[in-house]
Amino acid sequence: MLTELRKIGWNGIPPQYRGMSWKILLGYLPTNAMRRQQTLDRKRAEYKEAIQQHYYIDDNSRTVQEQETLRQVLVDVPRTAPEIQLFRNEKIKRALSRLLYIWAMRHPASSYVQGINDLATPLFAVFLADDYEGEDVLDGSVMVVLEEERLDEVEADVYWCLTNILAGIQDHYTADQPGIQRMVMRLQELVNRIDADLYNHIQSVGVQFMQFAFKWMNCLLLREFNLKCVIRLWDTYISEDGLKGFEDFHVYVCAAFMSQFSSQLQTMDFDELFQFMQQVPTEDWGETEIEMLLSHAYVLSTLFGGSDAHLTSASNGPVTSISM
Amino acid sequence: MAPGSSAKQRDYDYLFKLVLIGDSGVGKSCLLLRFADDAFTESYISTIGVDFRFRTVKIDNKTVKLQIWDTAGQERFRTITSAYYRGADGIIMVFDVTSMESFDHVNDWLKEVNRYAAEGTVKLLVGNKSDRTADRVVTEVQAKEFADELGIPFIETSAKSSKNVEEAFLTMAGELIRQRDSRGGGNETSGIDLNGEKKAPGGGCC
Repeated sequence: MLTELRKIGWNGIPPQYRGMSWKILLGYLPTNAMRRQQTLDRKRAEYKEAIQQHYYIDDNSRTVQEQETLRQVLVDVPRTAPEIQLFRNEKIKRALSRLLYIWAMRHPASSYVQGINDLATPLFAVFLADDYEGEDVLDGSVMVVLEEERLDEVEADVYWCLTNILAGIQDHYTADQPGIQRMVMRLQELVNRIDADLYNHIQSVGVQFMQFAFKWMNCLLLREFNLKCVIRLWDTYISEDGLKGFEDFHVYVCAAFMSQFSSQLQTMDFDELFQFMQQVPTEDWGETEIEMLLSHAYVLSTLFGGSDAHLTSASNGPVTSISM
Repeated sequence: MAPGSSAKQRDYDYLFKLVLIGDSGVGKSCLLLRFADDAFTESYISTIGVDFRFRTVKIDNKTVKLQIWDTAGQERFRTITSAYYRGADGIIMVFDVTSMESFDHVNDWLKEVNRYAAEGTVKLLVGNKSDRTADRVVTEVQAKEFADELGIPFIETSAKSSKNVEEAFLTMAGELIRQRDSRGGGNETSGIDLNGEKKAPGGGCC
């Protein structure tokens, strides 16, 4: 059944089924419908306990490191998705602060890293929309009618699903962020293979992949697309086997994204190219554009990846030869 | 904007690379937004890794191009961001006058700079958010004394009101011009001029 769901989900999930599908595909809910409520109750209760244990405690009982983490979370929450009304809501901000801090406390090897806040936003949007048959909740108007208990449930669900996503990409956020370095190098290698002219041009103007692609990996392109596009993108990522979408397939998406602007990029000098990459013009993008991007990425993954992709990512072998 | 032709002529007399560093949330990106675009937003988004902007200014009839690297403040990104110190001509250390912590951390930032940046990198200390008078916890005198001890210039700014933002960057640019001219460097980027073509025909100057 999971295989079926993945197959369907990969091509885009209808909004009214998205919340449930994501929860199942992310391994938060069991495929067996009979056991779902029980799981939800248990997980939500467990999260509630964690709030008391970690969040609502005397500041003096926090270590210096913990205080710094909390400070960082509280600095970032107000500037999370600043253009989306939903995330300006105080209750959402409180929920986001709590779950980010608790995640950090429970994952000390990475702790909270800027950009993880971004990754919670699609989950909030999708799970809140669940109560409204998948309707758009980004304008924040649902918050007027949403009951406190329901928001608590959503918060817990976001926490656990975010935890499951991050579990697959944990070394993206540990010291020196090796996972991100690895992905940027793979992107570089891939662009060199699929679009040597573009690769050579980027090299010749002196822009390094790390300079623009770091953010693409750290925030999984959330800064590049509007949230609706990201949600569609995540349908596919979440549907990839073993949640490899956030790591392996994402690199192909980034490569496809770059090659889409190839001819433009090749006319640019350092300043222009760098600024362009920082703010790739995607304001007009919608699901159609994302689906074209995904198709392109899929073609690339079958041409240049397949079973080899797993070997490359696991062994870290060939990429080390690329000079930065 | 039309893409420029690939065979571009150099359109500046000086080119300087500046790096903005300091704690997360002190307003580095807002300073840069104010300086590059003369804009301000209350709801700025956190910087991940490094961002880049440039602006060309006129100083004493010379065209000065400033390439400015805006770095993420969080410690986890230090591996990425410290790489930019090395090539920098100037480093602007920013703290928030409403946060004692961010001021205390300037010492840590300075250590980072001294570890990674080239000798002779020009430094500037900036205390941002000076418009928030009611929340201020770091006095101007205090910060000035600290900067004097270190022998680096200090300026208070407000990215919000735009007060002194222009001055901060121009102070830095002016300092860099003085330094480069006194090295006899002239217009090119320093490394090339000092070692390369000039010495051979003109004979030694240094």
